[in-house]
Amino acid sequence: MNKKNYQKDFFIYGVACFALFFVPLILGNDPFYINKSSTYICLGLLAVSLSLSWGYTGILNLGNAVFFGLGSYCMAMSLKLKTDAVHTGSGGLPDFMVWNNVKTLPWFWEPFHSLTFGVFAGIFVPVLLALALGFSILRGRIAGVYVAIITLAVLLVVYLLIMDQQRYTGGFNGITDLVTLKVGILEFDAYHPATYYLITIVMTIVLFITLLITKSRAGLIFQAIRDDENRVRFLGYDVGNYKTAAMCLSAAIAGIAGMLYTIVMEFASPTFLAVPLSLSIVIWCAVGGRQSLLGSFLGAIVITAGQGFLSESETFLHTWTLVMGFVFVLSVLFLPKGLAGFFEKYFKK
Amino acid sequence: MDFFISQFISGLSMTSILLMISLGLAIIYGTTGVINMAHGEFVMIGAYTSWFLQTTFGMGLLVSIIPIFLITALMGFLIERIVIRHLYNRLLDTILATWGIGVLLQQFIRLTVGSELKYLKIPSFMAESMTLFGQEVSIYRVFIFVFAILTFFVAWFIIFKTSFGIRLRAVTQNKDIASCFGINSGVVYSSTFAFGTGIAAVAGAFIAPLKSISPDMGTNYIIDAFMVVVLGGVESLIGTAASSLIIGETSSFLASFSNDTLAKALVLLMIIIILRIKPQGLFTKRTRS
Repeated sequence: MNKKNYQKDFFIYGVACFALFFVPLILGNDPFYINKSSTYICLGLLAVSLSLSWGYTGILNLGNAVFFGLGSYCMAMSLKLKTDAVHTGSGGLPDFMVWNNVKTLPWFWEPFHSLTFGVFAGIFVPVLLALALGFSILRGRIAGVYVAIITLAVLLVVYLLIMDQQRYTGGFNGITDLVTLKVGILEFDAYHPATYYLITIVMTIVLFITLLITKSRAGLIFQAIRDDENRVRFLGYDVGNYKTAAMCLSAAIAGIAGMLYTIVMEFASPTFLAVPLSLSIVIWCAVGGRQSLLGSFLGAIVITAGQGFLSESETFLHTWTLVMGFVFVLSVLFLPKGLAGFFEKYFKK
Repeated sequence: MDFFISQFISGLSMTSILLMISLGLAIIYGTTGVINMAHGEFVMIGAYTSWFLQTTFGMGLLVSIIPIFLITALMGFLIERIVIRHLYNRLLDTILATWGIGVLLQQFIRLTVGSELKYLKIPSFMAESMTLFGQEVSIYRVFIFVFAILTFFVAWFIIFKTSFGIRLRAVTQNKDIASCFGINSGVVYSSTFAFGTGIAAVAGAFIAPLKSISPDMGTNYIIDAFMVVVLGGVESLIGTAASSLIIGETSSFLASFSNDTLAKALVLLMIIIILRIKPQGLFTKRTRS
């Protein structure tokens, strides 16, 4: 990577992020579209997270949505405890706990009274899970398809556990009726441009930090591991540790995306960590170009926006998913580096 | 003692289902190295074909096995020919391609048949239950158990006693040398794929009456089947059968102390720990690199 390319990438990423700040002006501050655009950016950030672990380090994490979902639930738990419960139990129990005959707030809910704790948890709970997975599978020289299968199984099990423990997690309904996020005098209503700007600023910061990481020495080792794991090992690097680090970073980004998503959606639901979403993330990255952070990000935005546009009719939505399946298979067959790879080949000579 | 026997029998019932689903997956993975993420969708297609044949032509479950096997085996054959064939040199991408194919199959069913649940009847002569070791057991579950063992032996016979099986094993051991001896590895691969998907669909047709049929039913089964294959290793059919038994019985006993979900979580934890110690699975002798 020479210096000129380095600057070029920063320039392109800068322009893309800068352009996003003008979206509310173009949309004329229409609350519905502002809200929609905010959700797309959250999902774009989620794609960046997978691009780091899969595109850069070669860890095909089919269960990436689990980190997103956990981040989302942490934020939702904090915001839920700030609501005035309609059916208040003793000491402001969340409504679904009252319905499930829970008498006292479970111990793991207690610290979420603090929003600061909730935000930290939204990052560190996913990172801890990634750390546990890294220690048990990535450092055990389990690679390739086994990683893909185990991450998918972890996703499914966490999903089933959340559905099963309805008393503590809200089960199928998730955690709903959240209070709007307030930081100091700022209030982030899901339909207000302020929320859009909050999300875009966070996204820009995270995207640039990730870009810096991929350009750093560690980032080069990540890519080397992706290309030839054994060679990196023979050069004396601890591949397991680097992979675990990449997975933790990816989990942190997904957690942040999940927290932002809760703010925009105003609820947390088990569908945030279900298999279909996890599959979608893989599709966004594969079509957009998994070896490019911006490619994955834009892939996610274009595909989810298309989906949002068609989602008024169920038949349209099903047909859209069918078409996406086709596009996905075709891009795996003919464009392994996705659209970003395609553009790089023909326009970046 | 009664408790023990009843849990053991329900474990066996789970084992037979796991064995039928994972057999096709294990054969395909063992031979071609492809993890077929669409495997669960073939289970689903089998269930829907069975439902279609029953409601449209009034075909009984046993009669419809042959058309179900043939239809889906043809689908598997075509998918191998059209898509998978181009990806043997980048195996990780086969996961993506087959996952995409799974989405296509699911959406195809959603758009043509619809998303609502469908139910299949258990054949009338098997709807009763019988007494086995002092326990009431549904005849249909006993039948599935017998059939799973039968399928296992058919697969064993094909792989170890036919000339196709010899070629299949030769290609599994060393594709290049096998090709030098005049074995067409392409044909072996596509036949293996057809055989594996066919078994999956028949499994789907048999499981369908026990539960409801829906377009996304495959997802739940595929994870269990993967766990079986991962735990058993891909070297032997016996490994698949043994790990089905381990997972089936463990889940059944754990579930009796907690519930199905917690049992699933504990089984997964167990598998991850075993893999950490023995990354190639329990029943493998040599490593496959």
